[in-house]
Amino acid sequence: MGFHRPDRIEDALAALASGASVIAGGTDWYPSRGDGPVPMNVLDVTRLQGFRGITRDGAGWRIGAATTWTDIARADLPPAFDGLKRAAREVGGLQIQNAGTLGGNLCNASPAADGMPPLLTLDPKVELIGPHGAREVPLADFVTGPRQADLREGELLAALHIPDPGPSAGGFIKLGARKYLVISIAMVAALVHVEGGRVAWARVAVGACSPVARRLSALEADLQGVAVNALAGAVRPDHLKDLSPIGDVRGSAGYRLDAVAELVGRAIAQAARGA
Amino acid sequence: MTQLTMTVNGKAVSGDVEGRTLLVNFLRDTLRLTGTHVGCDTSQCGACVVHVNGQAVKACTMLALEAEGAEVATIEGQADADGSLNAIQQAFQDHHGLQCGFCTPGMVMSAAALLKENPKPTEAEVRDYLEGNICRCTGYHNIVKAIMAASGQDVGAIAAE
Ligand SMILES: Cc1cc2nc3c(=O)[nH]c(=O)nc-3n(C[C@H](O)[C@H](O)[C@H](O)COP(=O)(O)OP(=O)(O)OC[C@H]3O[C@@H](n4cnc5c(N)ncnc54)[C@H](O)[C@@H]3O)c2cc1C
Ligand code: FES
Ligand code: FES
Repeated sequence: MGFHRPDRIEDALAALASGASVIAGGTDWYPSRGDGPVPMNVLDVTRLQGFRGITRDGAGWRIGAATTWTDIARADLPPAFDGLKRAAREVGGLQIQNAGTLGGNLCNASPAADGMPPLLTLDPKVELIGPHGAREVPLADFVTGPRQADLREGELLAALHIPDPGPSAGGFIKLGARKYLVISIAMVAALVHVEGGRVAWARVAVGACSPVARRLSALEADLQGVAVNALAGAVRPDHLKDLSPIGDVRGSAGYRLDAVAELVGRAIAQAARGA
Repeated sequence: MTQLTMTVNGKAVSGDVEGRTLLVNFLRDTLRLTGTHVGCDTSQCGACVVHVNGQAVKACTMLALEAEGAEVATIEGQADADGSLNAIQQAFQDHHGLQCGFCTPGMVMSAAALLKENPKPTEAEVRDYLEGNICRCTGYHNIVKAIMAASGQDVGAIAAE
């Protein structure tokens, strides 16, 4: 019982074993309580060693799970992270970005989590720590459904490992009903590597248009070799066939698909301009 | 109950709280600092904005115990040492940046965080920074004007709407 804010992972795992509820920034956790009581046994992961901050390691980059959106927006990172940085500035308002974390965004597993599309283009693995040790899972397999993540009993998300994205550049565009403080109707991230005026490779991910944000692999394959000045016509309706948007208060399914077709083009162009 | 200590507006304070006590309730109910308002209780409106270790956060979505040992600043600590309004507060008064005043403590705290980071923001930057602060009275225009004025910029050119 009580409020735990350990710096040692062993203490955190012990608190988890006692049934503690995990909190990072609390920006999803607290509102999701609704009118119900706040749990009395809480584990705050923001002080755990290695949980906050962005570091360069041999194979690429490591982002601690409790790194805030403000940390990301302010970090000195190569252009491949431009999409993630743009997303960081779109999560709620400034105060939400000061408290909310990347790990919370992923573990909460909302189909509209703004962190997912840009991260999917960076192809990271998530590092999980639990009573049986550590394991790594590709991000695409970690989030398994709306509000469902492959987080086993007693496990914490510790960090994301992003392989060196080289000299590519990222873009991100979010569509909401208004400009600020809004749940996404759809969002698109792109990561493009340009060589000699042509796309050497590209990755494109769409959020809020399927149970889990996803990459558009057919489009990615077709983008290879396309001249940067011919990108405008590159997106065809069949590239979006894997998406299955729902209709809800924020927009009809048809509207989402129409909007995404446009957003995909713009996000690719935005990334290509930075590349 | 857990014993909690922190610094609020430069003064060391302590109190007994339950694990589930929110920072905003600790400030309002235990410390009786009722200038920090609760408008929505779900992190939307910004009436409850305070600074924790220099960063603007929403006190309605933070447990009091998360601020253990932290430096917290609230609207009550914003006035100058002699009790007169600080530059931001004075500008809100001069430029009619409030009507009912419910959102004002949060607006002033967000503005203070903005000007610390960006001492001469453009009008667009001010509007952008205030995205998490909602006002149902003023239409924002005079709030933006007040913050621009508090940063020492000429607001004559910002026409009244
Ligand atoms: C007003 C408002 C606006 C918002 N706008 C947006 C938006 O525009 N876009 C968007 O994507 N999101 C938005 N959100 C949602 C939220 O702010 C983000 O998802 C944020 O990144 C969550 O991070 P957190 O640290 O606050 O998570 P928390 O609330 O602390 O945690 C979220 C969930 O993840 C679990 N968890 C957290 N960290 C770990 C960990 N390391 N290991 C295991 N489990 C963990 C918690 O137990 C909890 O179930 C908004 C929220 C509010 C209140
Ligand atoms: S009361 Fe905290 S944001 Fe509205
Ligand atoms: S002055 Fe009334 S809500 Fe802003």
